[in-house]
Amino acid sequence: MTGRYSLARQTPVSACQQRLAIEMLLVGADDDLLVVMRRSAEQPQTRLIGVIGEDGKMVGVLPIHRLAESVVSRVAPEALLSDISGAVDVARFGHSVEARVVRDVMVEPAVVQPEVTIDHAFRQMRVRRLSGLYVVDADGRPTGYLDLLELVLMYVDALESSPPAPSG
Amino acid sequence: MEFDVALTALIFVVTYAIIATDRIDKTVAALLGGTAVVVLGVISQEEAFGAIDLNVIFLLAGMMVLATILRRTGFFQWLAIRSVKVAGGDPFRLLIVLSVVCAVLSAFLDNVTTVVLLAPVTLYISSVLHVSPLPFLISEILASNIGGTATLIGDPPNILIGSASGLGFVEFLTNLGPIALLILLVFLVMCRVLFGRDLEIHADVRDAVLALDEREVLNDVWLLRVSLLVIGGTLSGFLLATPLGLEPGSIALLGASILLLISRLDVEEILREVEWPTLFFFVGLFMLVEAVVHVGIIEALAVALIDLTGGDPTITSLGLLWLSGLASGVVDNIPYTATMIPVVNHLGQAGMPIEPLWWSLALGACLGGNATIVGASANVVVANMAGRAGHPITFQAFLRYGILVAAVSLVMSSAYLYLRYLL
Repeated sequence: MTGRYSLARQTPVSACQQRLAIEMLLVGADDDLLVVMRRSAEQPQTRLIGVIGEDGKMVGVLPIHRLAESVVSRVAPEALLSDISGAVDVARFGHSVEARVVRDVMVEPAVVQPEVTIDHAFRQMRVRRLSGLYVVDADGRPTGYLDLLELVLMYVDALESSPPAPSG
Repeated sequence: MEFDVALTALIFVVTYAIIATDRIDKTVAALLGGTAVVVLGVISQEEAFGAIDLNVIFLLAGMMVLATILRRTGFFQWLAIRSVKVAGGDPFRLLIVLSVVCAVLSAFLDNVTTVVLLAPVTLYISSVLHVSPLPFLISEILASNIGGTATLIGDPPNILIGSASGLGFVEFLTNLGPIALLILLVFLVMCRVLFGRDLEIHADVRDAVLALDEREVLNDVWLLRVSLLVIGGTLSGFLLATPLGLEPGSIALLGASILLLISRLDVEEILREVEWPTLFFFVGLFMLVEAVVHVGIIEALAVALIDLTGGDPTITSLGLLWLSGLASGVVDNIPYTATMIPVVNHLGQAGMPIEPLWWSLALGACLGGNATIVGASANVVVANMAGRAGHPITFQAFLRYGILVAAVSLVMSSAYLYLRYLL
């Protein structure tokens, strides 16, 4: 295992989680989307909104672009209509148009525990096409937010502190 | 030989049962059935591969490429918004306009593409007007299947029948076009009774839907013009195919190649969007049906049919129409048609007038698809899509409308067949 790769496989999420000091943005599943949009604008660094239930546990996440789609689709649907090319796009558009509360557009929770590696966190973000994850405790309650940039900065540090691998 | 018959019948029944129950992907089922008859020695590899009708495959592939490029231009969404404007924001008028648009487009392009790409505007409009999108979606499905009946390229069963019978685009248009148009008109009248009460709205929300700007959904006006020009040329080519001694598959491939050349789009990207599972579904079916013909099952079925109808052309034609209509309501009309084509050929060889039989098969297979939500590809795709968008179309909800429209269509088709070909 190379030094760079061991960094990815051994560094826990907790080591980079607060590098950019990005705060969590937590909302309820029944909160109005327009109110959530306003709150999000006050905290623009958080690009993934966490959705919690009454017990404080994560029940979903809401990426900013999905929130934006649902608002734009109600005012200027043409912007979204022009990109639709199949049944999956149509279903998503249909959801966006009618969405009024967070529950209508949120997706499955995207969470990690603080002790998992940054490699695991990166893979999860990549698979789910998200730019962040919520860090949760053993009970599933959010304790912090991990942004993709915070994670990638760890790799940048590694690249800058070690000589490049030989080519060829 | 008896063992081969039993083995082939078993493979055929198992394959069709799997396709009908959707337990395994239908393309996989057809390919397994098609290769099983070769591997088990029922027919040779040469016979199996020789049975694959490349005219059908290339016609479908060519039209898929044309539709793929056209849909990238935003044409379908543009047309849907234009329909809204033409209807003046009135939901019932919109339902009628969208149904007509769906029927006309489906006569020349793939039904699924047409219905799916008109759906987003439908969903938006119904949301703004605070009406259920289901009347719109269901009427679009029904109209699409009616429109697809009118031409050689409108619905896969017609493509199969056209290639097997040698009947061309003009023959389909002149023989099936009039009855499809008549059924569409009756369907539009029925829409008032079927959907009228569900579409009452407050007048003050109409302005919101009329504010949509159709120009904003066009991604590439130049590509749109070129696509429409090439598709128009391809359709004209179908008219000339028979006099030129060409198969429709060659014309469709030529059209697709010309549009790929002119558009300069990434060929790999476009070809990735071709529905390869559908094409391989056909490949498997052709191989399997060839085995069924080879061992004599089809001939026996044809003889049994002649015995049953006493060889009477009227009873046979109308019986085939209703059998096809009922069968297509419950099973996929593509494998059904693929199986019935050699039966019709045998009936023709036995001295029965064959042309009415081809039209009976085409009308039954296409229009019967309207009876249930599983009767045609467009029905299934739109139902899935609507469910994911939060508006599930249940089997019963569709059946209420579908069975009535299919029944009226088949009654009208019976009268048409009798008066035009059998009297």
